Amino acid sequence: MTVLLSAIATFSLGGVMSFTLADGLYESRLETALEDTSTAVNTVNRTLAGAAVSDETTLQTLLNSLVPTLEEAGSRKVALLRSPGQPQLQLLQSPVSADLDFELIPDDLREAVRDGGNQLSYKPIELVEEDSAIPGLIVGAPVDVPLAGQFELYLVFDLQASQLTLNYVQQVVTIGGVILLVIIAFVSYFVTRRVVKPVLKAAEVSEEFAKGDLDRRMSEKGEDAVSTLARSLNRMARNLQQQIDQLDQLSKMQQRFVSDVSHELRTPMTTIKLAGEVIFARREDLDPSLKRSAELLHDQISRFEQLLADLLEISRYDAKSVTPDIEKADLNGVVGRAIASIEPLAQSKQVDMQIDLPNGPVEVEIDPKRIERLLRNLLANAAEHGQSRPIKIAVASDGHASAVSVSDQGDGMDQEQLEQVFDRFWRADPARQRSVGGTGLGLAISMEDARLHNGWLEVWSEKGVGTTFRLTLPVKSGYRLTDSPLPLEPTEEPA
Amino acid sequence: MTKILVIDDDNALREMVGIVLENAGYQSVFCADGAQAMPIFNQEKPDLVLLDVMLPGEDGVSVCKKIRVDSGVPIIMLTARGETEDVVQGLEAGADDYIVKPFQPNELTARVKARLRPLTDSGANVINIGPLVLDIEGHEVKRGDSSISLTPLEFKLLYTLASKPNLVFSREMLLDQVWEYDYKADTRLVNVHVQRLRAKIEDDPDNPKIVTTVRGIGYRAGSG
Repeated sequence: MTVLLSAIATFSLGGVMSFTLADGLYESRLETALEDTSTAVNTVNRTLAGAAVSDETTLQTLLNSLVPTLEEAGSRKVALLRSPGQPQLQLLQSPVSADLDFELIPDDLREAVRDGGNQLSYKPIELVEEDSAIPGLIVGAPVDVPLAGQFELYLVFDLQASQLTLNYVQQVVTIGGVILLVIIAFVSYFVTRRVVKPVLKAAEVSEEFAKGDLDRRMSEKGEDAVSTLARSLNRMARNLQQQIDQLDQLSKMQQRFVSDVSHELRTPMTTIKLAGEVIFARREDLDPSLKRSAELLHDQISRFEQLLADLLEISRYDAKSVTPDIEKADLNGVVGRAIASIEPLAQSKQVDMQIDLPNGPVEVEIDPKRIERLLRNLLANAAEHGQSRPIKIAVASDGHASAVSVSDQGDGMDQEQLEQVFDRFWRADPARQRSVGGTGLGLAISMEDARLHNGWLEVWSEKGVGTTFRLTLPVKSGYRLTDSPLPLEPTEEPA
Repeated sequence: MTKILVIDDDNALREMVGIVLENAGYQSVFCADGAQAMPIFNQEKPDLVLLDVMLPGEDGVSVCKKIRVDSGVPIIMLTARGETEDVVQGLEAGADDYIVKPFQPNELTARVKARLRPLTDSGANVINIGPLVLDIEGHEVKRGDSSISLTPLEFKLLYTLASKPNLVFSREMLLDQVWEYDYKADTRLVNVHVQRLRAKIEDDPDNPKIVTTVRGIGYRAGSG
């Protein structure tokens, strides 16, 4: 592009230059030609005036001898033509330079000379020399020849020398233009290399930055705008890297802290638990208030332990240090184990569990321990809030997804409660007496467990009707869920 | 009276574990420092060792290795971190079993009891398995005339497999019968101890002939 524009500029400039030059050369040549012609006219007049011309023959001889004196070898030819239409002395001949074809002298010029008085007239013409056309100039002037009447003196100038000069100059301008163009091409190439290349590089590197590769750096050489850009881009990357490292550090510290807290709390927790159990085992030997204290201590130690375990689990999720132990498992079996473990609670609450499992194993790629914990949690919630009405548990599977739904027919929740149900430490009814001593983290952890499996944990609830939790899991751990094989809302009116 | 050595740096926990063990009818001796563990072990000659993984002086895994150099005494590791490498390291160092803190008293006593229980008598006194001869009463394994030294756990593992030759035991069955877990426990216990057993009884542990792996199911003893 640059080269193209430069080419246009150079050739325009060259054109103007050679045109001006040609014009100038022609003008100066014309001026000389006119001066020469004036001189020639004067010479002719002087010669004619000074000579004693008595008869036609002498005049003819004089005229004939005048022509060669005015000639200049190669560049100037002369014609002394008698103007037509004069009555006297028709016999006089018009002398012409030897190699000049007077037909070349155009008629309109001759008329202009005859009508122009003492004025000089001129006209550029083409001379033919050795079969090639060369530029020429004819200047004519009227001359009064005594006895013979009016003659016209024509000087034919050969402009080839000027043409050659012009050609040479044009050649020089053209070669100069080409050289200039080559130089411009080189210069723009190097400018592009120096300026555009770093900009392209900067664009490329900033794209890498955007993709997260903050280890890339640009070359900071030089003092120009591009290197300033490079320096600030590099500084930005360094700062970002530092921030990320800092966050990384914080995250590692957090994980380390969680791990330390875990260890430091577990040892005293073990002692407390052992002591509580030992006292609890002997509670029958104690007087009533001590016995009740032992029971409370025992229960609250369990609750405290669960809370500690849940807190550690959720902080592991927060620190993103959870990796599932994915294996092929039978979802029916996992559901069965969860139901079995919740059986004592269901019995104490007098809750009936209605189970709808498909025949045969339902194979899924899951972390069975986490999914069992998740289901246990859903079942415990259902038993807790189910108002002693039956809980429905359903399992279904298609080629892509497997689902478990747990429905109770309890109080249900309103919209506001539904939105908070997966929040940490949120309780459906804080005033409610709780028998399982949940930690308030159960559903939050369940949600994380479902996400860990790329699964869905969804809830449907209606005040006074009941609540359904539905867990949908991809059959293979890499699948993306699009649909669930179980409905979320109850399809039939609850009994 | 059965003597149990409790090696743990936490004073309260050590004492509490002692109380639980005494309630269950065991005598406890204590050690708070890993560096003191071997002298006390050699002096007290306990019937079982409860060993904390994180110890000052010398860590539990290293103590475990030292005990195993010339003793097959049952070792149960106490670990605060159930999910880490500690468990595998402890088992590879020769620990028979492990308990994750915090634990229940009856969990502790159940683990201890399982490790101290004598073999249930199968009636036979001698079982031949490949080139090996198991002397049940003498708790001895012989290859030809040379005796192979197995820990009680390894002996029980081999005995369990050999008493029903050609029956394939799943890891869960072995956890139930050898370790006496009645719930789903860590199958790494089985894997690690089968490896340790093979290292002692097989000619080429990488190409076992006596205790063979049945892919996807478990293990069995015998050439079948």
